Formats: sequence, structure tokens, C-alpha cells
Amino acid sequence: MDQVKISRRDLMSVESPGRYVGGEFGSVIKDNVIKQLEETGSCREVRFAFCFPDVYEIGMSNLAMQILYKCLNDMEECWCERVFSPWVDMDAVMRKNNIELYSMESKSPLKDFDIVAFTLGYEMCYTNVLQILDLGRIPFRSKDRKEDDPIVMCGGPCAYNIEPMADFFDVAMMGEGEELIVEVTKIVKRYKDNGKKDRIELLRELSALEGVYVPCLYEPVYDNGRYKGLKKLDECAPDKIRKRIIKDLDKVPYPTRPVIPNIRIIHDRAYLEIFRGCIRGCRFCQAGFIYRPVREKSPDTLCRQGIEIEHNTGYDELGILSLSSSDYTGLKELTDGLLDAFEGRHTSLSLPSLRIDNFALDLMEKVSKTRKSGLTFAPEAGTQRLRDVINKGICEDDIMRSLRLAFSGGWSTVKLYFMLGLPTETMEDVKGIADLAYKIERLYFDVCREQGIKARKPEITVSTSMYIPKPFTPFQWERQNTKEEFLEKQSYLRSLIKSRNIKYIWHDVETSLWESVLARGDRRLCDVIEEGYRKGCFYDAWDDHFKYDVWMETLNEHGLTWEMFARGFDVDDEHLPWEHIDVGVNMSFFRKEREKAYNEQITPPCREKCSGCGAQCFKAGECYAPK
Amino acid sequence: MTRQVHRTEYVVRCLFERVGDASFVGHLDLMHTFDRAVRRAEMPIMYTQGYNPRPMMVFALPLGVGIDTLGDYVDISLSRLVDAEEFMEKVNPNLPSGVRLYGGINIDEPKNSLMSVVTTAMYRIKAPGIRDPLMRLFEKEEIKVEKRSKGKTVETDIRPLLLSGAQNMSPDPDICELYVCAGSVRNLRPDVLLSALCRHEGYDEELSQNAVITRLALFGGEYPRLLDIKGLL
Repeated sequence: MDQVKISRRDLMSVESPGRYVGGEFGSVIKDNVIKQLEETGSCREVRFAFCFPDVYEIGMSNLAMQILYKCLNDMEECWCERVFSPWVDMDAVMRKNNIELYSMESKSPLKDFDIVAFTLGYEMCYTNVLQILDLGRIPFRSKDRKEDDPIVMCGGPCAYNIEPMADFFDVAMMGEGEELIVEVTKIVKRYKDNGKKDRIELLRELSALEGVYVPCLYEPVYDNGRYKGLKKLDECAPDKIRKRIIKDLDKVPYPTRPVIPNIRIIHDRAYLEIFRGCIRGCRFCQAGFIYRPVREKSPDTLCRQGIEIEHNTGYDELGILSLSSSDYTGLKELTDGLLDAFEGRHTSLSLPSLRIDNFALDLMEKVSKTRKSGLTFAPEAGTQRLRDVINKGICEDDIMRSLRLAFSGGWSTVKLYFMLGLPTETMEDVKGIADLAYKIERLYFDVCREQGIKARKPEITVSTSMYIPKPFTPFQWERQNTKEEFLEKQSYLRSLIKSRNIKYIWHDVETSLWESVLARGDRRLCDVIEEGYRKGCFYDAWDDHFKYDVWMETLNEHGLTWEMFARGFDVDDEHLPWEHIDVGVNMSFFRKEREKAYNEQITPPCREKCSGCGAQCFKAGECYAPK
Repeated sequence: MTRQVHRTEYVVRCLFERVGDASFVGHLDLMHTFDRAVRRAEMPIMYTQGYNPRPMMVFALPLGVGIDTLGDYVDISLSRLVDAEEFMEKVNPNLPSGVRLYGGINIDEPKNSLMSVVTTAMYRIKAPGIRDPLMRLFEKEEIKVEKRSKGKTVETDIRPLLLSGAQNMSPDPDICELYVCAGSVRNLRPDVLLSALCRHEGYDEELSQNAVITRLALFGGEYPRLLDIKGLL
């Protein structure tokens, strides 16, 4: 068996060498596969490299990786191993010393795998996909790969518009992967059994699976620089690719024995995913639409899994995961059950995305190791008008009521998250952000006076990010604000926030401008991304490494402009680069929601009233729950 | 198994080894790894009192990244008596590959912390032709190394920290075993020793950086009357 060897000297020359050595508790070593590899140089099993295109500490915090690692390694006919992007220092060492990228488990060269699959959680990781292929000595383009080269795949939220990366992938998987990835692997197993004879035939076979998109079976059509849809190159290719979902989350495997890293990672805790989807339908939020329909796990299943995970991992913190924990119908039963089970064990719960009410404050007191951490609100917009436009079902009274409770209970740290550049936003809306912060500051001192609490210095943090229109949202056609508009709004807000109790945090504009291009781009970007990478761009998600000027220059060299992608699309007659993908939610629904947005009308949460988005087609979850 | 904050302490003092890839895990991370393994094994580890309770675990001497060990010590405080054999049997399967407990004993709460009793370490250094030049360092009056302190580079003499070569040294010229000062008062890090070797004996830098360093044992007492740490309570 070929193993990549790295000298001690090389390992000692990089930051956190523990990233590169594997050997973690819970990592899966299949001795029977190793034995075959050592004896014959090959094996019957499918060798699956699960790649995370960012550093180890981020990849190991990713739940999808742990879930699919388990699904794949539960298969007798597959051995799944993990691969991460080497950090910049290690990347340099590997290039200088001609070291190939390898897997964490067996240290095998990446090109020895049958499947090399990427999970794509954010667009800014695209260049790291190329880094991994490059260091792994795998040809970038699907068309350049031969029968013996690995099949290169991807999945995750960015797969829904994979066009900017379409030339690099043989297969893109849409939706939840627990079942699909197993089906795909079984087909690749047959391909391997038959001696890997006809790669294109394999891709055709895979394209017949629901949820699989094989980009090379289609070709984009352009007219005068405008995208005009995909043309099928092969009769067998489906017209529409529908995402996959898991109908019953209680019955799907969950990693209660995850891999436990030996070094500290970004989110160093165990995870319990309590439901998928979101009942809210905020119009800017891609997650709120692509994960529909809402499907809950039962509190019984969750309690059992939570207790198992805490025992199996030894973590002293269990993170409750979902898009909006407060909307979970069994939250009280679940948290009571877990808190009871963890009594005296020095294990805490972390509950992000809670809506602040009496129950939540009470819960936060109970679960938190450290007293009175900060409270977080995401009003997203500064005025009620704009909050109605984006369908953020939260009004100022809600926020003030929650904060009154919190301030009475002794909290004094509040974080507020907003977006700049939302559709229809005016300077009046921007000013609304500062007004809200000032109201909260006043509320704090009022509550202290009323309740006879000794006022401290409240810490109110206002944070703004730049709105990026995303596919599969009612705002997918919108234009993004320009750099100048964003900067003007930021500096206006800066000028308004003068109080010592209010801190304003703003973010880099340029990153969002490029992300916007990638999010709604088409296949013309493949060349741009490859060239940007060749010019030294990677780790774009890291501000220190992001090279805005190089990207804009490269874009222009290819006859493309930022405006072409960021100006948006004509609602009525333009094609969208992701229109061949079906997430269950209809385009007509998105159009209707967009209209309602412009009329400042809200749409109630799924649970209150079905708005007929189309996700009923999956015949699962909230849409079909007994009412 | 509940993990309680408790005043009575039952301490298990274990030797442990850490070899191979696991040696590239830093000392703080190694402590977390032990903590989790003990929790997975459902051993009743004690926690410190106060605002931010921490598991009560004391390591004899921090272990540098990239250095193997065959004989380090850790004290783990438990809230009830668990036989050391049983403790190791339960915890070992929960440790990542390359890390293993052995030779544990049950002790009462030690009067002196484990960290304060360590004075000496024995290292084995394996690299091409390293034995002779390394032993020649013992013939020197002084061995100056550069040490960065508060932004300034100062010269210090590490000769007093070198104690002696091992009595029954392997005949292999690529292996050198030696005693050096170690502990919270006087400590010689093996990487500092190797850089001195390159500077004063002209040993090849690249070879020194690829040397396999293994801490073979830790001792208390004063050289040459070394004491086994197990007995130092």
C-alpha cells in the first residue's frame, strides 16, 4: 500500500502539526481493506475520500462530514477516509518537497481513491477544492480525467448552483445525502467490480438516480452574454434534478460515535441535530427554503441519542443544532430530559438560535456553565417596513419585550445582527438600525431604574453584514448593492452611532461582492476560478488571504464583469443558472413571495398556514403532520 | 456515573506513553484528550471548585510537540476509590492510537504536586551518527545557546543542565541516551540541546530536525541519587 510519508522536520515546521496526523479516537480503520492493499495493491471495496475544502479545525466541526462518514463506513463495501485542505504553510511544504495530499486514516495518496467527494458549505471554499485536487495530482476538469482517475463529486448547500464549478465535478448531489451517497457508492462499486471500463457510461447510470446532476451531460447556451439555459447533450440526462430528503429523521443513522479530534477545533463539542428545515420563510435566507419541508426528530430519539453521544464522546458540551431551536415543538421535553440525564456530570447544553422569552431565559440560566452570557438578536433590518419586506417575523415590540425580561433578569450584553443592502432598503432603513440600538440602550436604563437594579455599562453591539442574493430565495433575481452603496451605508451608520455603550462592527465589503458572483454565477466562471487559483488565490474565506483585485482583474480578462452577475436577473424572461435543479419549492412561489415583498406583505410560518410553496411534493414532515 | 465535586480525593498515578503520530498533539490538547477519555470510560473524575470547573489532572512535565514519551506521569483525582488496574483497563480503550496508560498505582492526595517533584529526565535521541558528537558536549566547560527573552536575544549556558550519558549505552552510533535536568526549576528542552549540538559540534541541522526524540523516564531526587516518582508522595 502506498503511504505518503512526511518527515518530522516538515511536520515540526508548520503550525499545529496535529492537523495532519490523524489517529483520532473514533476514526475508522478497515484492516481487511489494508490487508488486501498490502497483499495485492488493490481492494474490492470502494475507497471514498471525503474532502473538506478548508482547514482541519473547521472541517472537523462540520456535522455533515460526521454523518456521511458514518453512513459510508457502515457499508461493508466501502471505506471512507477524511481529507482536509492543508493550511498555507503546509501547502508550501508539500509543494516544495513534492509531497502528495493524503488521507487522514491510511495516509494514502488522494489519487488512489475511487471517489473523491467534497462538501461545499460556502462559495468562498471553491479555490480550496482546486488546491486539494492539485496537491492530490488529480486533473481539474472532468473531461480530462480518465477511467482510472477518481470520480470527483460534491454535495452540500453550494451544490444547488454548482455551475461556477461545474467543469471540475463529475457528479453533484442535491439535498440530504444519507441515502443518496450510499446509492451512488453502490453503483461505483459495480463499476469497480467490472474493471472501470466506461467512465461516461458510469456517469450516465449515476444521472438516473434522483438527486444526481452530471454537469458534462449538459451544455450551457448564451446569447449576447446572457445565460439562456442548459442544452442536454445526452438523451438519458434528466430535464430536472430534484433534491433528496430524508423523510423520517428518526430512522436515519446519526453519528453517536463521531470522530473526536485530538486537537482543539472551532466548535469543540458534541452535536445533536433536532430538526431540518425552518417554518419561518425569511425571504433572504437560502437555508429556509432549500431545507424544506420542516421535519422534526422525536424528543425520545433525541434524548436517547444525546445521552449516547455524551457518553461516547466524553465532550462536556452538547450543542443543540437547528435553524431555529425555539420552533422545535418538543424543546421543553428534550431539554428537561437532557438536563436531567446530565445532572452531576459536568456537561452543559448549548442552544444557539433561541428566541428570547421567559422559557428561553429560564433555560439559558439552567444550561449555561458561565452565568449570563450575551444575548443575540437578529432583527436583520432596522425598520418594521423592511422587516416586513424580508418576512422576518419579528417586530420591535417582540424585541423590546424580550429585552425587558432579559434586563430585569440581570443581562446587560446584547448583540444585534443586521444586513445592509436588502432589497428596497433606503437610508431611512439604515438609520433605523441606529435608532433601534439607541432605544435598547434607553430601555436598559429605564428597566434598571424601574426595578431598582444598579445600572452597569450595557454592552450593545451592532453588527452589519452585506446582503448577498442567493439562489432559491424570493430575492434570487435581485441586484446586489454596489461597493459604493455598501460603503456609504456603513459610513452613514458609523456616523450615527456615537454612544459609548454601543459598538458598531462592520465587515469587509469586497468579500461579499465576490461571493455574490460565485453564488449566482454560471459556467463561464469555471475558467475564471481556475485562473484565479493559478494566480495564487485560495483560502478566499479567510480575509487575510482573499485577493479581491486579482479576482476582479481575472473576471475582466475573461470578458466578464461583476455587474453581469450582481445586477441580478429579469424576473419574467431570463433564465437562471440553477433552474434545472428542483428543491421542491416552486419558482412560481418565489415570484409570488417577491411580489409580496415589494408590497411589504408578510407570509405566515408554515405551521400557522401553509402557503403552498411546493415542498408538499416530498410527502413528509410538517406539510403532512397530523394537524 | 455521576461526576461530582467532592472533597475526598482518590488519586490514580499512572505512567503513560505517547508515541508516533500522537506525539504531534500539543500538551494542552493532550490534556483534553485525557479528560475526554476518562469521561468516556465513566471514571468519576473530580472537578475543581469555582466559576469554571476543570477536571483535576496533573501532568508531571509538559511534553513538547513531536517528542515521544515512554515514561511520563499523570495524577488523576477521583471522587471514589477505583483500583488503578481497573482504571487503566477502562481508560485505555478510550485513548486515541499511540497513547496508553500503564503501571498505575492508587495514592492518597500527594503533599507535593507531581510537577514539583520532577528534577530529571532521561531522553533517547535517534539520528544518524548522533551519539559521539552529543557525548562530546559533556567534555565542554560551557555550552552557550541563544535564548530569546523579552524580545532580546541572550546567551545562556546549558552545560550545567546536562547530567550524564546513560550507563549502558546502546552500541548503535545513531542512538544516544542521556540524563538532563527537567522540571519546573531547571529544565533542558531536547530541541535546545539539539540546536546546541549543531552550533558547537557542527552537526547537520536537517538531521537534527528529523531526530526521533523519546523521553524514556522522569525522576525525582538529585542526580545521581535519582528517585522513582512513583514513591514520591
